[in-house]
Amino acid sequence: MMMATAKQPKSILKKSSYPATSATSSKTKEERDREVALYHANLIQQRKEIELEILLSTETLIDYPLAGPPYDASNPSPADAKTFKELLRPFLPSNYDELIVERNINDRCGYTLCPNPRQKDGGGGRYRILGMNGKAKDFKVVEREELEKWCSPECARRTLYVRVQLSETAAWEREAGESAVNIDLLDEPKATEASITEDLQKLDLQTESTTSKKDAADLALERGDKAQAARNAIFDVKIQEKDISKPAQAPSLEDKDISDRLDTLHLTLEGHTSSFGSRREKRHKEALDGANVEDDHTDEDSEEDTDWQI
Amino acid sequence: MSTGDEDRVRKQREAGERESAKLWRAWRTVHEMVQDRGYELSEEEVKISFEDFKNKFTSDDGSVSRKTMTFSARPTDEMWKRYANPVTANDPNPASPDIGTIWVEFLAESSVGIKQMRAFAQFLTANNYHTGILITNTNITPAALKIIPAVASETRIECFTEADLLVNITHHELVPKHVLLSKVERTALLQRYRLKDTQLPRIQLGDPVARYLGLRRGQVVKIIRKSETAGRYASYRLCV
Ligand SMILES: [Zn+2]
Repeated sequence: MMMATAKQPKSILKKSSYPATSATSSKTKEERDREVALYHANLIQQRKEIELEILLSTETLIDYPLAGPPYDASNPSPADAKTFKELLRPFLPSNYDELIVERNINDRCGYTLCPNPRQKDGGGGRYRILGMNGKAKDFKVVEREELEKWCSPECARRTLYVRVQLSETAAWEREAGESAVNIDLLDEPKATEASITEDLQKLDLQTESTTSKKDAADLALERGDKAQAARNAIFDVKIQEKDISKPAQAPSLEDKDISDRLDTLHLTLEGHTSSFGSRREKRHKEALDGANVEDDHTDEDSEEDTDWQI
Repeated sequence: MSTGDEDRVRKQREAGERESAKLWRAWRTVHEMVQDRGYELSEEEVKISFEDFKNKFTSDDGSVSRKTMTFSARPTDEMWKRYANPVTANDPNPASPDIGTIWVEFLAESSVGIKQMRAFAQFLTANNYHTGILITNTNITPAALKIIPAVASETRIECFTEADLLVNITHHELVPKHVLLSKVERTALLQRYRLKDTQLPRIQLGDPVARYLGLRRGQVVKIIRKSETAGRYASYRLCV
């Protein structure tokens, strides 16, 4: 009995609490466990949502292009091309391959922006020989099945051109810093006069707020989780659009008051004058004029900050 | 007619006959399956002869028309009971059982993609079919299979290939009898042995017998084996 009180038997079990962690954090183990579980549940939920989105986009793109003649694969309609690029963002190359299969099942050319039916030569045999009349380097033996995915070799190339630009990382695992994939088409929509004016108008609208909004949208699209940012609500970013009523105007040298712009003309890049520097100067001057300056070197840093603060 | 032509015609007829026999066997198996799950079917429907089958489904061109191979069945009273949610102190008014009329369809299309699957789902929903069984003669694209969980809140879709149904696997002598336990029986079993369900051995949702019985996650099946030494003995598995 004496022995027992003097010397407690040593437990072979681990201590139930970890003083090192419990000291630094006020949360209990249960709370932390719950947070971790919640985090993983959110990830799974996100993944499910993105996968569903990809499925629905695939379903939509089976019936593309929506626009009829004069548009075709070599000159797709701007609207179809735009939607195609946007819907494709969360796609993995394997998702894209599935889209080709689905289009083929419905007898469409594998290239999403092509209105033609796919090629079916009906003949037997597993292989086809291409480029018999051309140079030796064009000569190819191709599996018939592979060939019949498209209406033409051009469309096969257009499809591949898009495929290599798709991210190999699943959309739910992509880093926030990973820039939005901007998919280029081998044959972009041909510019018409109307679309040039449209582009100019857009150019004018590229103010700071719209570009940052676009960046945010790009990021959301890239992640494939449009709703996600809002739901997590880590930041509450309010974007105030600049009111622009002036119509787009092409830059011109015949401008009467060109002399007014001479001092900034050297800053002009392809007709666009960056407003960043001049505005900062103006604000700097205002601050000085206000005479509220306590010391002379009005924190250049903090002032710079105000330029990108929303 | 030359002997060569006669030969060709005879071969074609034989090929057609083989195709018809294949479809008849799949038709029989899927009926047995639906009956074994507890839906109401008459013996004449289940045990249709090859001749009757051909008379019923052969089209003008002499081949069996898959398009016409469809049927539906309602759960029997016994099935309603088996799937019933028990009345307990915590749950005095339990939800009605998650079963209903089943629709079975053979698909003629040579490839099954998103569009075909979506059309099937829409047909089931529009006609209030609780469950739909789609039988195809080709594989279904991976993208089309993803439609199934996406519409799970509206209708349950199960897919089989004709090849899956050429023989009824549950009739094989090495496959023991699997019986689905009702929720009451399941609770009683776990209480009797003081077990949590996760302590039971498992059967996968994708197991051929689980697919045959249309088992769902969390259900328990009783497996009855015959043994020369011990007579019949039962074991239990949890579907995961
Ligand atoms: Zn094409």
